[in-house]
Amino acid sequence: MTNTQTPPARAARPEAAPAPTRKRPPARDRGSRLLATLFLAPTIVGIVVFTVVPIVGSVVLSLFHWNVIDSPGYAGLSNYGEVFGDSTVLVSFRNTLVFMVFAVALQLLIALALALTINGRMPVWLRSVFRSAFFFPLVLSAASISVVMKYLFNQDFGVVNWLLGFVGIAPVPWLTSENAAMATVVLVYVWQQFGFSFLLFIGGLNNIPKEIHEAAALDGATGLRKHLTVTLPLLSPTLLVASVVGIINALQVFEQPYVLTNGGPGDSTRTVVMVIYETAFEQLRFGEASAVGVLLFALIMAVTALQFRLSRRFVHYQ
Amino acid sequence: MTDSHLTRRALMRYGAYGAGAAALAGTAASWDRLTGADIPGRDDGSLVVATLGPAYGPEAIRTLQDGFRELHPDIKLRVNAVQAVDWSDFFAKILTQVAAGTAPDLVYVATEGVQLFAQRLGVALDKWVRRDAAELKEYFADVHPSLVESMMYEGSLYQLPVEFNAADMYFNRQVLRRAGADFPPADWTRDDFTTLLRDMKKSSGSRFTPYFWTNRLWGGVVPWLFANDTNLLAESKAPGGRWLWDGFYPAAQRKGRGGGFRWTTPQATHDRVEEVYDYLASLIQDGLCTRPEGGNGQNLIGVFSTGRVGVTPAGGFWAGGLSLAGMEPDGFDVQYFPRWRTQRMQYGAAGYALLRTSKMQDEAWEFIKYAARKDTLERLFTTNQTTPARRSLLTADRYEKTGPAHWPVFYDTLDRFPDTGPIPAPPQVAEVEQVLLKHTGTALASPRSVRPALRRMQGDLEKAMERDA
Repeated sequence: MTNTQTPPARAARPEAAPAPTRKRPPARDRGSRLLATLFLAPTIVGIVVFTVVPIVGSVVLSLFHWNVIDSPGYAGLSNYGEVFGDSTVLVSFRNTLVFMVFAVALQLLIALALALTINGRMPVWLRSVFRSAFFFPLVLSAASISVVMKYLFNQDFGVVNWLLGFVGIAPVPWLTSENAAMATVVLVYVWQQFGFSFLLFIGGLNNIPKEIHEAAALDGATGLRKHLTVTLPLLSPTLLVASVVGIINALQVFEQPYVLTNGGPGDSTRTVVMVIYETAFEQLRFGEASAVGVLLFALIMAVTALQFRLSRRFVHYQ
Repeated sequence: MTDSHLTRRALMRYGAYGAGAAALAGTAASWDRLTGADIPGRDDGSLVVATLGPAYGPEAIRTLQDGFRELHPDIKLRVNAVQAVDWSDFFAKILTQVAAGTAPDLVYVATEGVQLFAQRLGVALDKWVRRDAAELKEYFADVHPSLVESMMYEGSLYQLPVEFNAADMYFNRQVLRRAGADFPPADWTRDDFTTLLRDMKKSSGSRFTPYFWTNRLWGGVVPWLFANDTNLLAESKAPGGRWLWDGFYPAAQRKGRGGGFRWTTPQATHDRVEEVYDYLASLIQDGLCTRPEGGNGQNLIGVFSTGRVGVTPAGGFWAGGLSLAGMEPDGFDVQYFPRWRTQRMQYGAAGYALLRTSKMQDEAWEFIKYAARKDTLERLFTTNQTTPARRSLLTADRYEKTGPAHWPVFYDTLDRFPDTGPIPAPPQVAEVEQVLLKHTGTALASPRSVRPALRRMQGDLEKAMERDA
């Protein structure tokens, strides 16, 4: 027998909302949930095994000294102390941030300019040709592209300097000068990557209703003004996605500087992921490499969070 | 009855789910599927040998396997050609296998990794060498003691060298003719070298580079350091090794030999090191040589064979490479590195290291002996892709088709200059190499940056050497 009398304490608080009664969802809903869980299970397992476990593993490993050969030894936070005292690591963070700023800015500008141009008055077939051409470098391996670019940008035998020679420009040390090397790496990276942002922008531009442009035209907006006051605000969600993805990718750059310059001359093009690779797999200091990896992870999270925070001001949804 | 109790229907439904899941699990468990054990040779009692993939193609692997099977039909052999860009990449992959518990029994290791493997993973071969001394007399008589000494660590022998490459100078004959220059004599000097580069530059167009070099441990700055009678790290010999020298080498050849090399105190700020960097900087300033760039000699073959480069340091491996690229044997030639304060040369050697984790150590030793046999090396190095460690393999016949005319230089580098030594490769070699490449790039990338770059190099080298490998 159940107790049906209301307790006195509760009776003294008539304003309290009645406790929600737990209803069992209908059988059909339960079946749907079960089916959804089954379909999601492989993805969830994948995320846990290939993302969550490695992240947790890296954090744990960053607290140990481990050289693969001997057993790991607990190190506390000393790996982090080593990392902050290592000028190469600090320089690599600076290089990566500089790279990110220029690479993402250039990538977005070029992609946006080309998307606006191609989305204008242009025959459909020609538009398709350009779309394919701009996207093509993205499907190639970054390492292969970098090997080819290394030949093209060679100071003594490269095609780029050979072509510049025709207009009287002296050979440029594209990859062997501290001033030029980072710029060359950025150029190669942007050339390969801008196709992704370009496709996003094309999609975003096609989603803007024509009526809005027509209304703006009736109000007298033309050319650049139309783009600044109508197109860009309506494209801002796409811009946010492109910049978030672009920044995350740029902060993890590895292949291009590794193949083109091997981080040199000096440390001028050494990036954080290069340092992680060298520290772990060449110098066998997996604990320190993990500590650098954890710091990079934190940096990426912070930058992305900042972007989303700032996006509240600049992103306009229709 | 409350909700906390299962209804009969629910109980039956969950029972059916359970039965279904058990049936699925049973089916999956009984399904034939691939596992790690299905990889040919894994855990099947094979002797596993890891080689550097690009150096050992399928043909070479077949040759190794077939020959060994004939000799030892009772030992199963699996050659695992690990694809890697360079030695450090190769070692990283081997260490990953070690960490994963799938370590090979034998690893092909070059000078760059000899001490690292010896210190951490290797097994000294001393007891087997002593046991099979009679069988090995012929091998040691055919192999220069310098090469053997470079495979020793703290008095013990860890590998039998099968190949090596000394940094000699290659010339494009067409460029020499264009400059009206003679082929330099064996005792040429650094100043002769500079004059030759100037003559080459004068006689060729602006798109010509007299001297090309790559920024790396072997064949980069280090041969110049050797020629100027210095080194990146102070070099000495470990005690011991008498058991080997007294047993296999005559008095003249064992003089001054020890228990392997020791590379200890960094000396990047030494005057002679600075002199070398100043010299290379002056060559760059005068447009006589390239700025230091990473990579290997492969990307150079094209520009060298078409006469856009006059001189470059390379080993015997380049004779095979140039020949494969279509260059005629009389199109190029080779001479010793020029003399500065000394004419000490630099080389790197390679052989098979036996890992401590191996459960087939006796069988592995049989493979090491087999891999160092004359007939094995003869079959393996048919295209002159390297310099065999055995002197008797360097014959006129071997170089008739691949050239160059002065092919005896390859082995005479050791015989004529007995103090010729291996590249500095302590157990911390990966960091040492990275520091060298990094600061050489900075030192020679802009004028007047040599001294500050060398100071930073010294600091980084000290840190690297203090670290446990």
